[in-house]
Amino acid sequence: MWLNLQKRFLTITARIGISAILSFCLTGCGTSRNAPTLIRFWNGFTGPDGTRALQIVRQFNQENPDIEVRMQRIEWGTYYNKLYVAGIGKRAPEVFVLHTSALRRFEETGFVRPIDDLLGDFPVNDLDANVWDATVYKGKHYGLPMDFHPIGLYYNRKLFREAGIVDANGEAKPPRTKSEFLEDARKLTKTSNNAALSQWGYAYSNAPLHVYSLMKQYGGKFFTPDLSKCLLNSPENVAALQFCVDMILKDKTAPSPDASDPWIGFRQGRVAMTWNGIFMLPDLQKQKDLDFAGFPVAQIGEQSAVQAGSHNFCLNANMGEKKRNAAWKFAKFYSDHSLDWAEAGQVPVRKSLRQSPRFAKMTVQSQFANQISYGAYFPQIPFNQEFETEFNYAVERTLRGSVTPKEALDAATAKIEQVIARRREDRQSVTGVASP
Amino acid sequence: MTPTLADPETISSKAKSPKETLKRYSGWLFVLPYLILFSLFLLTPLIYGFRLSLYKSELLSLSPPRFIGAGNYAEAFRDPYFWKAMTVTMRMMLLVTPITILTALGIAVGINSLPRKRQTFFRSAFFVPGMLTISVVGIVWRWFYSPEFGVFNAYLGAFGLRPPWLGNPAWATLAIVIMTVWWTVGGPMIILLAGLQNQPEQYLEAAALDGATAFQRFRFISLPLLRPVLLFTIILNVIGAFQIFGQTLLVTKGGPEFGTRTLVQYIYDTAFNNYRMGYASSMSWILFVVIGAFAVIQFRVLREK
Repeated sequence: MWLNLQKRFLTITARIGISAILSFCLTGCGTSRNAPTLIRFWNGFTGPDGTRALQIVRQFNQENPDIEVRMQRIEWGTYYNKLYVAGIGKRAPEVFVLHTSALRRFEETGFVRPIDDLLGDFPVNDLDANVWDATVYKGKHYGLPMDFHPIGLYYNRKLFREAGIVDANGEAKPPRTKSEFLEDARKLTKTSNNAALSQWGYAYSNAPLHVYSLMKQYGGKFFTPDLSKCLLNSPENVAALQFCVDMILKDKTAPSPDASDPWIGFRQGRVAMTWNGIFMLPDLQKQKDLDFAGFPVAQIGEQSAVQAGSHNFCLNANMGEKKRNAAWKFAKFYSDHSLDWAEAGQVPVRKSLRQSPRFAKMTVQSQFANQISYGAYFPQIPFNQEFETEFNYAVERTLRGSVTPKEALDAATAKIEQVIARRREDRQSVTGVASP
Repeated sequence: MTPTLADPETISSKAKSPKETLKRYSGWLFVLPYLILFSLFLLTPLIYGFRLSLYKSELLSLSPPRFIGAGNYAEAFRDPYFWKAMTVTMRMMLLVTPITILTALGIAVGINSLPRKRQTFFRSAFFVPGMLTISVVGIVWRWFYSPEFGVFNAYLGAFGLRPPWLGNPAWATLAIVIMTVWWTVGGPMIILLAGLQNQPEQYLEAAALDGATAFQRFRFISLPLLRPVLLFTIILNVIGAFQIFGQTLLVTKGGPEFGTRTLVQYIYDTAFNNYRMGYASSMSWILFVVIGAFAVIQFRVLREK
């Protein structure tokens, strides 16, 4: 009796299972025949930029019914980890975004594809040369630049006018030189015993990017050309970092990093100047009562330089022709719509589009765009993440006054040298030849 | 039931009827589903991880994994970041466990003193935070701690206090500890409460008749009876505290100055930022051994004599 019941139960469940699988297969197979080519598109645009990106993706899907781009947003903090692991497991998306400084790491792995053979009639000369050249590895271009996002000066115009820092027309006048920058910071600082009521001339709302810009301005180098030695603790870099610390500890025109959130301070009108990425713009635009403007960063060192990044469209190396063409079509479409993308706080790298009246109306973007020719990417090295971790740690410790700039940069250099040594050893074990 | 030599069933096991054999193994059948999952998802990765920890296995490397014996372990002992993370982890554990257990005990005793009907509400109220996922807790508490808009500084500000909650390593550690206690106190509380409620009432009544005060009754009757339950909750809590990860990753990202980067987070960074799987595995194993050692020591010290 019991056995009988069990048997019947098994047959019934088996029947249900089989019919379910059959019907799934039938409907599934039916739709897949004329289904659009699926392009998975991964990026880290989890802020307002993601909304803008999604609009462009939707428009593309509408205009190209034979292709379906599916966008996946992953917080930048974990994005590269996931992308990398997906790539190793041969499950990387067809199209993905890489920062210019992250390209080397991925090029070495072989799952990014060069795009030179796909360019066709793409107006390569319309791209900014330095941005486009930065995607080259072993003579080939490995990504189509989507944008240029430098840091720049955000300044509070109301506070500038109140402090009397104005031009002939009575308009707020942002600093261009080292002396102007220091003097303005002093004039704009009003410290009081209550930290919440203090007004700061400057605040480090993104200290690593600020410090990196200054190091570049001071002529600092980071690696020997063959990547065999780290030069982070060179005198120029130490001097640049010292300048930043002095604003906190000596001049007292910038708050110590643990006092409060500097970016919120700027939004609240308690900070007059801050250098931060153009991608922070949407955050400020939401705030209607803040009278702010953007301007290129002041030249503190001997040469003009500013930290910048670019997002690049990169194509999966392992895909068939149909997918490849669809992916490239999408990348081109996005590039052609650079102005829509610029609204999210980006500078287009298509020169023709920057000359349009529409771009001129994006005042902050236009100001920041003046820095394209001297934009400096983080070192393009295969171990960029290790470098940036150490770099950020050194900057953080120094600005908090825990260690001197020299101590922090020496420690960071030693750590990065360890990474280089590991890599050298690794290469030797593969090729028998010592090369970094 | 453990079979002994004198057990006739054991001796004559060969001559058993099929029905008896089935009975003997039916216990295994019941645990089989769990055993399969356990070996598939816990035992196998554990052993694989140990093997990995003996190799130089780096996803960024062009060469295949290479056996280096204890090389990764040696590197860990030389690595200042490892020691920093270990110190942070120990500090967290030493703060989180006593505070959690004492708070849980306090709440359990408090609830236990209420009439039964009213206990349900408080029991669930204190248990609810533990049901939230760490991502929710992390995001909410990050706002709580915001120096400008945070709820803590909004109230403390009224007294002229504005602690830089996540601003420096000491405060950030404290912030993580408070948040962890809030999040995890419910579990031990429920277990301790159950322990208290299982105690035979006669002992307490007898003591009360002999004139013992409430404190004396707790100290000399309830607490000793609670010992095995306490041991259990403490060990579980220490194991949990050693593995603090989500809190720091979401709220402080291990900062400032890596002052709250726990060992598990360092292992995560090593494995998934720098793709050094072998090295990360070796640190996981060190952590495993440390946790195991702590559990054994606690068991020895707190076990009933």
